[in-house]
Amino acid sequence: MMDFSQIVPALPALADGMVLTLKLLAMSVAGGVVLGTLLALARLSSLPLLSGLAKFYVNYFRSIPLLLVISWFYLVVPLIYTWLTGSFEPVGAFTSCLVAFVMFEAAYFSEIVRAGIQSIPKGQVNAGYALGMRYDQVMRLIVLPQAFRKMTPLLLQQSIILFQDTSLVYAVGLLDFLNAARSKGDIVGLPHEFLIFAGAVYFVISMGATQLVKRLQKRFAV
Amino acid sequence: MTAMIQLSNVSKWYGSFQVLTDCTTQVAKGEVVVVCGPSGSGKSTLIKCVNALEPFQKGTVLVDGISVGDPKTDLPKLRSRVGMVFQHFELFPHLSITENLAIAQMKVLGRSRDEAHERGLKYLDRVGLKAQAAKFPGQLSGGQQQRVAIARALSMDPIAMLFDEPTSALDPEMINEVLDVMTGLAHEGMTMMCVTHEMGFARRVADRVIFMDQGHIVEDCTKEEFFGAPRGERAQQFLSKILQH
Repeated sequence: MMDFSQIVPALPALADGMVLTLKLLAMSVAGGVVLGTLLALARLSSLPLLSGLAKFYVNYFRSIPLLLVISWFYLVVPLIYTWLTGSFEPVGAFTSCLVAFVMFEAAYFSEIVRAGIQSIPKGQVNAGYALGMRYDQVMRLIVLPQAFRKMTPLLLQQSIILFQDTSLVYAVGLLDFLNAARSKGDIVGLPHEFLIFAGAVYFVISMGATQLVKRLQKRFAV
Repeated sequence: MTAMIQLSNVSKWYGSFQVLTDCTTQVAKGEVVVVCGPSGSGKSTLIKCVNALEPFQKGTVLVDGISVGDPKTDLPKLRSRVGMVFQHFELFPHLSITENLAIAQMKVLGRSRDEAHERGLKYLDRVGLKAQAAKFPGQLSGGQQQRVAIARALSMDPIAMLFDEPTSALDPEMINEVLDVMTGLAHEGMTMMCVTHEMGFARRVADRVIFMDQGHIVEDCTKEEFFGAPRGERAQQFLSKILQH
């Protein structure tokens, strides 16, 4: 017989895990979209070196597993931090994971942003220039606001995938929601119940978010 | 007369295909020049060379004495002084009409929000659309959008206006409301270069007509000469086709 009653006393610990998951998700999406936008602009640049570098970055990170990036950054980020600041203060797994997610997701976000920018008619760009705007003003005031409006559903979809992928931080020992459920389940000797519960929570949140995105998509389509 | 816009031997290639060949002409201060010709003749490309939306490989373009092709030229500043109206209006769909009129005044000319709004509304009133200030471009008809686009260009206090087929994308019943605004501008002494097929407009308000074919300026004369006296065979063919309707 399954016994789900032991989940109730474990809820505070699981909530802590969910807080870490959501915090990591929010910060990764924010950083990933910013870096991804810069990469998309670089990729679309008329300077061959800049667009080549951006292309290499995107293709590289899209060709390696996220788990590898997480493990690798866990080792490398503290070294770089020490090298940059000269301080030996420990960086911590959370920061390493955050850097890994931002850099990895930026590659995916940049492709979405690039498609969004390219979907804005050239005439809009010309109109901005004709009014005397500089490149950065045309992008900031005219192109990106329209592009992001079109891209929002895709960016949210990618964020939902990332929400699930944050569970990979178990590899470096971070107690996110899934890892908290797993360790609690092991401690009380009910691993199946806790994992089933965790699965249900992921399912409800992801499905709910997906439905929301579909609704948004309909509204944006008008 | 001083030339506000001076093009000298302008040539442009797309790869090995030459779209403009040795185009030389000028627009004097206060003059209205209509550029016409069959599609693909390079007239839109030529007018876009004036504010460097299209780069050109040979020749010089001077606007108010400033060389457009000179890498040292502050292009954004130069462009901010030349108004341009596009075939597809190109209002910014994510901004209200008021914001469309104000954004470049604020971000490019550094005007305050109040000043930009006031000036924008003044020109919106001028094109007869003050009541639409709070709407978004998508809520206006094509003719209304194009009038807003003209007001947007005017609110930058341009020294000259470029029109790139401003009525080609409009339904017939909306063409006149746009042409009326342009005619009003011409009568006020605005320097204008207009790519258009509206020969009635050319007859009424143009000082000169330029006819282009295959990247060459083949006619460049007063409107009286263009519509009356003998002229090149190519222009005659074009006119006979376009004047039938």
